Amino acid sequence: MKFFTVNDLSVSYGKHEILSRLSFETNTSETIGILGANGSGKTTLLKAICGILPHTGTCILEENLLENKTPKQLAKLCSYIPQRSGISIDISVLDTVLMGFHPHLGFLEHPSMEMKEKAISLIYKVGLSGKEHTNYLHLSEGQKQLCILARTLVTDSKLLLLDEPESALDFHFRYQMLSLIRSWNRENHSTALVSLHDPMLALNSCDRLLLLADGHISSTIFPQTDTLSSMEEKLCHIYGNISLHHCVNKSGQKQIVMLKENLFEGTD
Amino acid sequence: MTLNTVKNKYYYIAGAILLIALAIVSLYVGKYPLSMEKLLSGDDLQWRVFLTLRLSRTVVGIMGGFALGVAGFVFQTVFRNALASPDIIGVSSGASAGAAAGILFLSGSLAITLSSFAGALGAVVIALFLSSLDKSGKNSTIVLAGIAVHSLAQTFLMCLKLTADPERELASIEYWIMGSLSGISGYSITANLILCILCLCILFLLHRHVIILSTEEGEARMLGVSVTTLRLIVLLTATLTVASIISLTGLISFIGLLAPHTARLLTKENRIQTMLLSGFLGGILLCGADILARSVSATELPVSIFTSLLGAPFLIYLILQERRSL
Repeated sequence: MKFFTVNDLSVSYGKHEILSRLSFETNTSETIGILGANGSGKTTLLKAICGILPHTGTCILEENLLENKTPKQLAKLCSYIPQRSGISIDISVLDTVLMGFHPHLGFLEHPSMEMKEKAISLIYKVGLSGKEHTNYLHLSEGQKQLCILARTLVTDSKLLLLDEPESALDFHFRYQMLSLIRSWNRENHSTALVSLHDPMLALNSCDRLLLLADGHISSTIFPQTDTLSSMEEKLCHIYGNISLHHCVNKSGQKQIVMLKENLFEGTD
Repeated sequence: MTLNTVKNKYYYIAGAILLIALAIVSLYVGKYPLSMEKLLSGDDLQWRVFLTLRLSRTVVGIMGGFALGVAGFVFQTVFRNALASPDIIGVSSGASAGAAAGILFLSGSLAITLSSFAGALGAVVIALFLSSLDKSGKNSTIVLAGIAVHSLAQTFLMCLKLTADPERELASIEYWIMGSLSGISGYSITANLILCILCLCILFLLHRHVIILSTEEGEARMLGVSVTTLRLIVLLTATLTVASIISLTGLISFIGLLAPHTARLLTKENRIQTMLLSGFLGGILLCGADILARSVSATELPVSIFTSLLGAPFLIYLILQERRSL
């Protein structure tokens, strides 16, 4: 039995089918990137798994059928970061992170002292130290994403669904966020499904990449073990004429670099 | 900018003190002068005025303002809109239509209270039912349904006014719509107040849920909230709170909008304390307006005149302050 299994998942908006009979499995401690062109269904896939969108097919997390769960039970098992949080009222960073405990609290219960301490330690971990009492609305877009990440991690859920968490972050924070998610998964034996815009970030920080095209998983990439040429061929379908290269940074770490071929020659 | 919790604590304390002070003033002010000495010596007439007129009027002033403030806070938060108020899902127009029907076809103040309560509740139940037909569960659907019900109730009210006798009935309908605390006396208020307190308790207990409802629908769901059901419960409870008050007093404008807005501008927060402060401010505003309404001129004036007169300049001042600090 795999840790998390998606079986024959299909989603349609009206007659238009966005995802058709999609299936995959994941292990624990895996960080899985989802790549695809705009409109390929990355967001739809994540929303379907967490039950926000109606769908056919099944998602099974450690023998729990997610489709059968009430919102509260579901929220205990998996947590979701939207592309942009809908928070539009004055609220402190700490209170925002404490929202994450909601599914674990009884009807009349309030967040305990331990929960507050845990929330503060996570605010530190995502790099927002000292901002606990800052108004969420006054944060930059990138800091808002980090705050929502803290809210997601605070509950120890086993499945993290992150929808383009890096889109508002600059270079440094992108890598910091992904390495945080990776080490989190290793420590907590959780799995993260992360839809990503930046293919280089995905290649260097995910254990596995699912490439979405036309509502299917067109191919799967294992960046650590696959050969450059096989990855190149798969990525070409999404990003056009590109080439991949191995580079070593000054601290001796090998990285994959993606370059555009025929630069400035228009569409190929 | 860091949220200033210490400064906010002073706001809560100041709000509570001001409310208590106004309550004491309200017990004394009125056509019939009361004095502490005579009350203590057991003067029968003094006690009767105190218990049946002043006390009930003050209690309704404070509770009513508090309830309108809290309900306004809940509506603004759930709809993510600073202009949202219980009116947008048809509660006030439903109550007016109900009261008008009561004035025309029934007799006695209790009957009018009951029929305006039924009108308010009926309008909101229809609005929420209509919005539940759309399965997408969007906030905007509720607002649209509310507008539809609101205009239906207005039309119904207009028809009732047309059939009303202009000398007596039409005048009482108009006077009811203007709102006043003058008719309140004795024990007719007990049921309404019990309902109001009950609903307020529920709203405070649900505070954490109300805040989560202010996020996007999918996000709230992933925080473990059954959005549609919870929103229905919260909106119905907030409506009941408002209906229990305005069926006693008639329409009271502006408090549901102004009190929560002021509480937010002062505290820059949305915690349970902000909701409480919003209630305090509502109570202060209604109680203060009522004191003026019965003391400024020889005849009683509608209380809404003073809620707007007191509230509007203060709100404008706060908004200008806010602009300057940015």
